[in-house]
Amino acid sequence: MQKTVIDDSYKYGFSKPEKYFYKSAKGLSEKVIRTISGYKSEPPWMLEFRLKSYVGYLKKTLPTWGADLSGIDFDNIFYYIKPTAGKVSSWADLPAEIKDTYDKIGIPEAEKKFLAGVSAQYESEVVYKSVNEMLRRKGVVFLDMDSGLREYPDLVQQYFGTVVPPLDNTFAALNSAVWSGGSFVYVPKGVHVELPLQAYFRINAANMGQFERTLIIADEGSSVHYVEGCTAPIYSSDSLHSAVVEIIVKKGARVRYTTIQNWSKNVYNLVTKRTVVDEEGIMEWVDGNLGSKVTMKYPSIFLKGRKSRGEVLSIAYAGSGQHQDAGGKVIHLASETTSQIISKSISKGGGRTSYRGLVQVEKGAENVKSKVVCDALLLDEESRSDTYPDMRINEKDVSIEHEATVSKIGDEQMFYLESRGLTKEQAQSMIVNGFIEPIVRELPLEYAVEMNRLISLQMEGSVG
Amino acid sequence: MFKIEHITASLGEKKILDDVSLTVHAGELHAIMGPNGSGKSTFSSVLLGHPSYTVSDTKGKKASIQLDGDELLFLATHERVKKGIFLAFQSPLSIPGVSVMHLLRSSYQEIYPPMKKSEENLGNAIFSRAWKAEDVTLLQFIDRVKSVARDLFIDESFLKRGIHDGFSGGEKKKIEMLQALILKPKYAIFDEIDTGLDVDALKVVATGIEKLRKQGTGVIVVTHYHRILSYVHPSHTHILVDGAFVEHGTGALSERIEKEGYAKYAKDSH
Repeated sequence: MQKTVIDDSYKYGFSKPEKYFYKSAKGLSEKVIRTISGYKSEPPWMLEFRLKSYVGYLKKTLPTWGADLSGIDFDNIFYYIKPTAGKVSSWADLPAEIKDTYDKIGIPEAEKKFLAGVSAQYESEVVYKSVNEMLRRKGVVFLDMDSGLREYPDLVQQYFGTVVPPLDNTFAALNSAVWSGGSFVYVPKGVHVELPLQAYFRINAANMGQFERTLIIADEGSSVHYVEGCTAPIYSSDSLHSAVVEIIVKKGARVRYTTIQNWSKNVYNLVTKRTVVDEEGIMEWVDGNLGSKVTMKYPSIFLKGRKSRGEVLSIAYAGSGQHQDAGGKVIHLASETTSQIISKSISKGGGRTSYRGLVQVEKGAENVKSKVVCDALLLDEESRSDTYPDMRINEKDVSIEHEATVSKIGDEQMFYLESRGLTKEQAQSMIVNGFIEPIVRELPLEYAVEMNRLISLQMEGSVG
Repeated sequence: MFKIEHITASLGEKKILDDVSLTVHAGELHAIMGPNGSGKSTFSSVLLGHPSYTVSDTKGKKASIQLDGDELLFLATHERVKKGIFLAFQSPLSIPGVSVMHLLRSSYQEIYPPMKKSEENLGNAIFSRAWKAEDVTLLQFIDRVKSVARDLFIDESFLKRGIHDGFSGGEKKKIEMLQALILKPKYAIFDEIDTGLDVDALKVVATGIEKLRKQGTGVIVVTHYHRILSYVHPSHTHILVDGAFVEHGTGALSERIEKEGYAKYAKDSH
């Protein structure tokens, strides 16, 4: 009999005893950055990159246009924690308490199902990884970012910070200064990775910042699906998660990047995700934001090559005390490029969701097509949803569609499902899951099931 | 036995049903006929406990809805349904993203829960992966749904679509009938099942009603017109006008209504 993926205790968070090899002092300074870089024995250019980013970061101010970020105490964060020394490559070698944590979020099952290689992040560094032999034979590189830098220094140096420049925004600058962990993926020309590459994230230390850095390079004509899901225990003070993801989609390549974010409700989740797509390449972001206190995340796509295509599918759920400020951006730089942004948001118990999106068509990009659909579902009167769609069209020959709806669950829909034997809670879960179904069906099976369960969990005690 | 007694129902301040009583036995077919606005749909909704209506006693006589001796009046809608009643809606709303099959699977497991409570069975039935019903396996259940759908001339592709989402009037009625046949209620109420149906679909729906009766379900057909009654033959007919039954009879009464209409009662009631 299969165990449920999401244990009920999850709802209240669960935390394991901390066991560290090295923990930096709280707060950020040049010394901390030098220590991190030195500890990792990084090449001089990376230390240089970090220090420049730090100097730039000091001049930046917090954005004032999105969610309220005033609760972040930057001096009260550990910028680097290295967990148990060394790495293990098989499940059996993992420390029992880490295994236990993973059991609760159902990793062994996912591993059995997909076995494409699991890269699970426990605190700041990847400690567990098993890469399928088949991937290795195909020449696919799937490493944690630190190992990637060590083993493929030239490739990393060529692309690192090119899609998201270090001074792009406050949080990208911070990440560039103190990044640790994350994934490095390289898919050689013409190679199709059939099974999704998965990385699980979990932070387990109070006041700890997570600054992963992911770089994915899909060479010409290749394809890959990268999946990350994260969960976190609840802490008494606020936590910051600020990742940077850079993706390079070469000519005719295809990348899908799927995230289910379920940080605990004290985490500020401020992530910069961006991709550059060459001719006839395809990039798809599938982004689910369920947890965190505040999320600001707008996966972006620069359609640089002719006939390239970009897609953003976004689900946001905001419960009490949560603000999900999410959406997507597509910048059409070349002709015959197409894009689609579909956003579905659910607000409940005073939660707030915002759709913030941009569709930009540059001069000279002809015959561009873009479609934006944002649907919001409000479960009660206290909840809120806003839409901030931005369109900057600098070319005439374009087809741009925009649809937006805001709906509430109707009494008659509820009565219909209740008349089929379902309780009010079950009926509401079913309607909400139906609402997000167009995006959930794009998720790998395990994630789709998990998503449905998370929604059901959120509906508990919400009606009647 | 499905025994409805002294039901008075209001929507806000407005009284819609006034002292309505009706008794249906297993395997019987009752027709409730009446002109528009007579309270027919309210009657169906009230039996299932629709939250918009307030049900009260009638002049000191206790309101009651009993199914085989169990009082349903104070139960929530889903609890009434678990006791064995079913309502086919006149114009059901769509629920995008919730497929017909998914809803049927969830409903069946709620209505026919396992006798033993094992640990795996404690979770939420809707999204648990394990099939819970004991009288039938999941594969058998899916086959059964497909087979009944074929009998109703419902294309299999409809089972995967969001329920009633973009369905025509006729398709909606057939999907309601499909649910009745799969969920096998003790008593089923069909609210205006014949509106919007062509002759072929009407025959299909009528066959469904006959099948239910044969398996022992007591059926109440609520209708304005006699149309459906040319294909199924009620044992009892009740005429509802202005929220009260004005005449009770056999199948012959429905035929008379077809010829004479409701004009006679309209005069009486004004």
